[in-house]
Amino acid sequence: MIRVNLLRTAAMGLLLWAGAAPARGAALPAPYRAPYIPASDDERLQEVASASDPKVVEMRSLRAKLDVAPRDLDAAIRLANSYIDYGRQIGDAHYAGYAEAVIAPWTALPAPPAIATLTQATILGYRHQFDAARGLLQATLLLEPRSAQAWLTLATLDMVQGRYEAARKDCAHVMNTAGLEFGGACLGNLLSYTGQARQSLELLSQNEFSGRRASAAYQAWIEGLIAEAAERLADWPLAEEHYRCALQLLPHDNFLLVAYADFLLDRGRPGEVPPLLADHSQSDTAFLRLALAKAALHSPDASRYAWMMAARFEALRQRGGDFFGREEARFALQLQHDPETSLVLARQNWEFQRAPWDARVLLEAALAAHQPQAAAAAVAFVEQTRLEDPVVQSLARQVKNR
Amino acid sequence: MRRFLHRLAPLLGSFPLLLAAPVAHAHSASDAYLTLSVDGTDEFTLHGQWDIALRDLDFAVSLDDDGDGVLTWGEVKRHQAAIDRYAYEQLSFKDGTGASCAVQPTRHLIDAHADGAYAALFFDVHCAHRSNTLAMHYTLFFPIDPSHRGIFVMHSVAGTSSAVLSPQNASLALALK
Repeated sequence: MIRVNLLRTAAMGLLLWAGAAPARGAALPAPYRAPYIPASDDERLQEVASASDPKVVEMRSLRAKLDVAPRDLDAAIRLANSYIDYGRQIGDAHYAGYAEAVIAPWTALPAPPAIATLTQATILGYRHQFDAARGLLQATLLLEPRSAQAWLTLATLDMVQGRYEAARKDCAHVMNTAGLEFGGACLGNLLSYTGQARQSLELLSQNEFSGRRASAAYQAWIEGLIAEAAERLADWPLAEEHYRCALQLLPHDNFLLVAYADFLLDRGRPGEVPPLLADHSQSDTAFLRLALAKAALHSPDASRYAWMMAARFEALRQRGGDFFGREEARFALQLQHDPETSLVLARQNWEFQRAPWDARVLLEAALAAHQPQAAAAAVAFVEQTRLEDPVVQSLARQVKNR
Repeated sequence: MRRFLHRLAPLLGSFPLLLAAPVAHAHSASDAYLTLSVDGTDEFTLHGQWDIALRDLDFAVSLDDDGDGVLTWGEVKRHQAAIDRYAYEQLSFKDGTGASCAVQPTRHLIDAHADGAYAALFFDVHCAHRSNTLAMHYTLFFPIDPSHRGIFVMHSVAGTSSAVLSPQNASLALALK
């Protein structure tokens, strides 16, 4: 078994992995090869955003517009939103950095315009800097109390952090400012966390019906939320149907791909994960699911995937800053078989993130580490919120009975 | 539905709502790896290796000539001069007198990291005056991506030291002895 700390020395030498990054479908390289000169000019080294991708075309055109009018806030926000959206879709944090640079001239002002503050909040939320993001959203709402985007982003933040009472109010504001479609989806999402998954499903299904002429992004969002609510109710066929529906609408959406991969892993279908995520190994979250699937399949390259994942976490640690405890706790438990480390990470993660998966990693780690009391907060949270998630509930019962 | 969309438009201003949640996703942001080693025989010369992600370079200087979404070695080679120009403008050294040191590119290789292929730029640093400390200034990608970090490691007879370079920490004093 390869532990992350063994990689520290390797990372210092900077020779993490040999061979090029895995190009589409290619075998993973062998570790520790020195820097090299590729054998031929045709050697494929790295996938990048393709110039033919409509989103890339859009980003470049927005960039060109901003370049000719660098003081145009409207053009800057459009470009920043386009970067954020694309980065989110492909699971690549670089674009959040690009967006940050685009709005920097405005966020650096003594009194930044509300729209710039809002965009900055979105970027920080994406980076899991939740407190800072919340502060900026509140600042935005002071200036623009009817900003639907600010209320929706705040609602999502409150849901991720398990602050459901606050989220309920946020969703009411979304309803007032953006109308039924978004308000209903917001509330529908919330109900799936608070013991009302059935009502959640009904509400979201109404949105699914009424949103048929809305954008693919909106429809996919609703389909994903329905799938999530169906999972709470242990209705696996319904969840799968809606995950597939969502992915038909947005086939490359990192969030949906990862959620569906988790669904497949939970259903004991790891064989379907590598083909699903083959083209998305650049995203760390997708890569973790690939590594989990390889391990479940006892694939010959399972340990290489696990090692690569460890190297990616190590790279994150080296740069400092953002913390991705949910993924790392899962990695430590399931791929490094290190429940103690997993528990430390899961407890740390629980301090600021309280979605069902966060409860789950904490409960799993506490059970594996034989420290059920360490997950008492998660058990109390599940009871108090009446979260219906069958996996989380079963784990919570096991923890209580220890 | 049409009625609602109609209502939405004026309320939301001209920006569509961003829908997806800011949920839990680990990501690799932009990192570059800069290693300096003091020469074994001439302690006033430094040898450097600078690994910069090809996808970051593609965003900054456009390497994908055929636009097919894959960078080949041929494409990287063709843009080597542009890569050098872009990168070395963002890295500078000054000796104890404040005079700029010469940064001399030596080799261009590819280095593979866990998150993709990197251009490995090898270079030497020569300063006109002998001094015990050098001032290093690093600004790679900061103007286009303030979340970029330079993971810096220095080897000298005194041992190994490291730092994370960021817009807030872009200048370092390097002890050569």
